[in-house]
Amino acid sequence: MIGLIQNEMMKIFGKKASWIYMVAIVLAILIGGIIYVKFTEDSNPNWRSEMKAEVTQLEAQVKSSKDKGEKEFLQREIEQKQYYLKENIDPNSKTSWHFMNEVVMGVSSLVTLFVVIVGSANVSAEFSDGTIKQLLIRPHRRWSVLLSKYIAMVLYALMMVAVLVVSGYLISIILCGNSDFNMKMYEMTLDGQKIAEAGPQFFMKILYLLPSLFVIMTIAFMLSTLFKSQALAVGIGIFVLFFSSTVGGLIVMLADKYTWAKFLIFPHLDLKIFAFQDKIMGNITLPMSLGILGVYYLIFIVVTFVFFQKRDISI
Amino acid sequence: MSSFALEVKSLTKKIGKKTIVDNVSFQVKKGEIFGLLGPNGAGKTTIIRMIVSLINRSGGEVIINGRDLDDEFTLAMDNLGAIVENPEFYKYLSGYKNLRHYERMALSDIPGSRIKEVTELVGLEEAIHDKVKTYSLGMRQRLGVAQAILHKPSLLILDEPTNGLDPQGIREFREYLRKLANEGTSVLVSSHLLSEMQQMCDRFAIIERGKLVVISSMNEEKETDIHDVEFEVNDSVRAADLVRRYFPDAGLAAKGLQRLSISAARDTIPEINRMLVENEILVYEIINVKASLEERFLEITGKEREAYQA
Ligand SMILES: Nc1ncnc2c1ncn2[C@@H]1O[C@H](COP(=O)(O)OP(=O)(O)O)[C@@H](O)[C@H]1O
Ligand SMILES: [Mg+2]
Repeated sequence: MIGLIQNEMMKIFGKKASWIYMVAIVLAILIGGIIYVKFTEDSNPNWRSEMKAEVTQLEAQVKSSKDKGEKEFLQREIEQKQYYLKENIDPNSKTSWHFMNEVVMGVSSLVTLFVVIVGSANVSAEFSDGTIKQLLIRPHRRWSVLLSKYIAMVLYALMMVAVLVVSGYLISIILCGNSDFNMKMYEMTLDGQKIAEAGPQFFMKILYLLPSLFVIMTIAFMLSTLFKSQALAVGIGIFVLFFSSTVGGLIVMLADKYTWAKFLIFPHLDLKIFAFQDKIMGNITLPMSLGILGVYYLIFIVVTFVFFQKRDISI
Repeated sequence: MSSFALEVKSLTKKIGKKTIVDNVSFQVKKGEIFGLLGPNGAGKTTIIRMIVSLINRSGGEVIINGRDLDDEFTLAMDNLGAIVENPEFYKYLSGYKNLRHYERMALSDIPGSRIKEVTELVGLEEAIHDKVKTYSLGMRQRLGVAQAILHKPSLLILDEPTNGLDPQGIREFREYLRKLANEGTSVLVSSHLLSEMQQMCDRFAIIERGKLVVISSMNEEKETDIHDVEFEVNDSVRAADLVRRYFPDAGLAAKGLQRLSISAARDTIPEINRMLVENEILVYEIINVKASLEERFLEITGKEREAYQA
């Protein structure tokens, strides 16, 4: 088995694209990082006094305002700023751990994309190139050949995540300087808002990224055994990836009305949301989401291996 | 251990309602070069794909070196090296890395010197570290042979191996196969060219529309091999009686009043002739049925050609 996995790693890294994807991750972090540092509002050492002044100004505006809606809006703004002052959180601070949470996590979707591309090409390329027939006339059961390919894929995905984290960390230190791992940070995203410690928050998100990355990679791998054409498999893989990220939000809305929608795979493909919320779609907790993903994962694996074991290789 | 490198029993492949390979049985002896001859579309590749287990069998058994594919898959497959149709490689890797790839897939440890050895054997020393995408078709063919013999299999299976080779290459290839066979490797080779089979093989089977029509032996040196001949005589009935009396082991069938077809060991055929002559039977002609086999094959391929033109 070790030999088989070695072979598969040699084939993955024999292709230039596999290296290019790794370089692309680093470049994306670098470019994203430079934009982040240069073009977003800078933090100011006197932010506390300035924010206090802003609060006074806003309070004056509330008094003079006549419109009820406007008043409410301003009031919320004031509360927010007072909250920052109370917790002593500079909303504009750009430390290395802020960088990790914003830029590096942003680039993580690129990792998923590349893993999908490599995964859906993995088996289908052997069919496209005709090498599959040389591969399967060896003294190894088909399932073990396929398993070695799958393990190699997992290793590649883990390497991509490692490249993301390590290069992200190095670039963050170069661009922002070192900072306190446990520093408090206020995060407001589409998924929700909360105060968290920046370092642990980042690693929690990476941890939540892994199950979904694995499942998406497994879908791509399944596609690559179902289709004989590499181009088709990769195309459909990328389509599924984008489709799932778009449709995830829709399903969440659907789940308000129909319980069954909660068991569709799409809303569970992005577990990072649990870094902000304890429950999604009303009552689904992280273990439940993981359970649902696990069931889908098993189905995909069984389909992949059974189909590959039985199919006629006639190219 | 079995005395056969390969035994194929009642091999059948059905796709949908079509029977592509129909109840094909044959054996390849140790150290023998055995051919599958048949026009395009006869089912040769399908037979080979079933033997190397690339496709499922609808029926039948495959036994490689005494090991049944169904019972001892990995051990059976370890005795096998093959090129199925055109040899395909990882073009983005060097020839050397391609060979390393297959070396790692063998069950037994292959000594480090073996890659060098086969590379020299097929004459690819110069190019072995170049990427396969720079190789010519002939070079790929040779790399194909290298990957097939890398683990010293006892059975080598080659599907139309001379496709795309020039006459010089074909001659070299033939000599090379003979050398391997003399060293004890058995070879199963397919072709749609009769002349090629006659030059290359010890025996070959003719495949027509999925069925094995006949197995013919090319090996004229062996005096004990059974031969099919036809005697043209003045009285086939009396001649048949005589043969039955003096050579009870010979296969016999009268074909009309003047023809007698006989299967017998090659060295008994002149004796049968002498016996007939001594018993005052007039022998006009002794016809080797190999020739009519040729006709039979030409007939098959001829039909094929007419079908193309139609
Ligand atoms: N996967 C398949 N589906 C349907 N028909 C097939 C398939 N593979 C081969 N055939 C048919 O089986 C016959 C035998 O093909 P093949 O074994 O390739 O012949 P050969 O190698 O002797 O030229 C052909 O008529 C071919 O069209
Ligand atoms: Mg063929």
